[in-house]
Amino acid sequence: MTEHPTLRRNPDVSWRTIEGQSVLVFNREGEVQVLNEIGTYVWEHLEEGAEALARNISEKYEVEFGEARRDVAEFLQDLRRSGALLEG
Amino acid sequence: MDRYPDGDHFQPVAPPEGAGGFTVAVGGLSVGFEGVPSAVLEACRDHYRPFLSDAAPQVTFRLGPGWEGYLDLPPDGYLRLEERPLGPGRLLVSHTFAARWSGASGELRSASLENFETLKAGIENTLRWVVADLALESEGFVLHASGLVRDGRAYLFFGHSGAGKSTVASLSPDCLLLSDDLVLLLRKKGAWMAATTPFAGTLPQTHKQAGLYPLAALYRLVQAPEDFVRPLSLAEAAGRVLSCCPFVTDPPARQDRLFPLVEACCRAVPVRALHFTKSRTFWALAAPEANP
Repeated sequence: MTEHPTLRRNPDVSWRTIEGQSVLVFNREGEVQVLNEIGTYVWEHLEEGAEALARNISEKYEVEFGEARRDVAEFLQDLRRSGALLEG
Repeated sequence: MDRYPDGDHFQPVAPPEGAGGFTVAVGGLSVGFEGVPSAVLEACRDHYRPFLSDAAPQVTFRLGPGWEGYLDLPPDGYLRLEERPLGPGRLLVSHTFAARWSGASGELRSASLENFETLKAGIENTLRWVVADLALESEGFVLHASGLVRDGRAYLFFGHSGAGKSTVASLSPDCLLLSDDLVLLLRKKGAWMAATTPFAGTLPQTHKQAGLYPLAALYRLVQAPEDFVRPLSLAEAAGRVLSCCPFVTDPPARQDRLFPLVEACCRAVPVRALHFTKSRTFWALAAPEANP
């Protein structure tokens, strides 16, 4: 699995967690993305890195570690594609 | 090529002979403009007539002649507005005007002081800029929305350009119009209120009356083949509303203050998505309790 130590939140994306859901607002485009519970966990704990996120999610939500790792990697890739996360 | 003025561009200048001024008040937030040439002063006052105020303005802008152009017009013809720090204050710049604002005073430079339409673009956008900021200081915010008063309560239909804000307003001739473009929301003694604004979309707004009305509901406009209402989670509601607040991009400090206010508003009043067919039948869904 590839770690994502250089991923960071895009400063042009405003975000806030409300009632357990993180909502991302892409300021320039006006787009809005609402994350589910696990997505919110990943978003709020990005700094821990993908491996630790997968491990924690595996324990917290009782899912198989390999599955959690794949899901985290895919989700981070989605966030990068949408512009919510930047490299570097 | 884009040209950005520096502080020297805003050195105060003597007003032309016969120049005057006026103050516009929006929901109690007031902005004055001085040094308006006599040739366009009455046209300016007419444009803002329902909102003219004799009160001392919170911020006063002095007008002066500017460059022929600042920012280039983009190919799509859309208005470009850019904001950035400038000295102790901030700069707002567009195609034909530039404004510097710091504290209770500002300077506005226009490509033409004698041409009403050109000058109005500068005054109008400066006013929008300042009111948006003053609103934040007063526990409020401005929202790209069509605001309509029905049975004494304000219903706001928000969305980006082309969402149908002016359409909703044009389909509601029996409602009092707050604006078909930009509405001011203020929290007054814990209750959210919506204010009439002089900010116009595409509808003529000659019959506006300045006022403040209790907020009944917020609807995000979605054009659809049939009319229905969809509830929004609080997170989505706050995100959707925030995305329709102007001047949302910078500075970040403003954003940090705005999001909690938007959330508070969304907690206090219903926020839903209104899928509508551009027909008047939407009112039966938006305000079923209101009189037809």
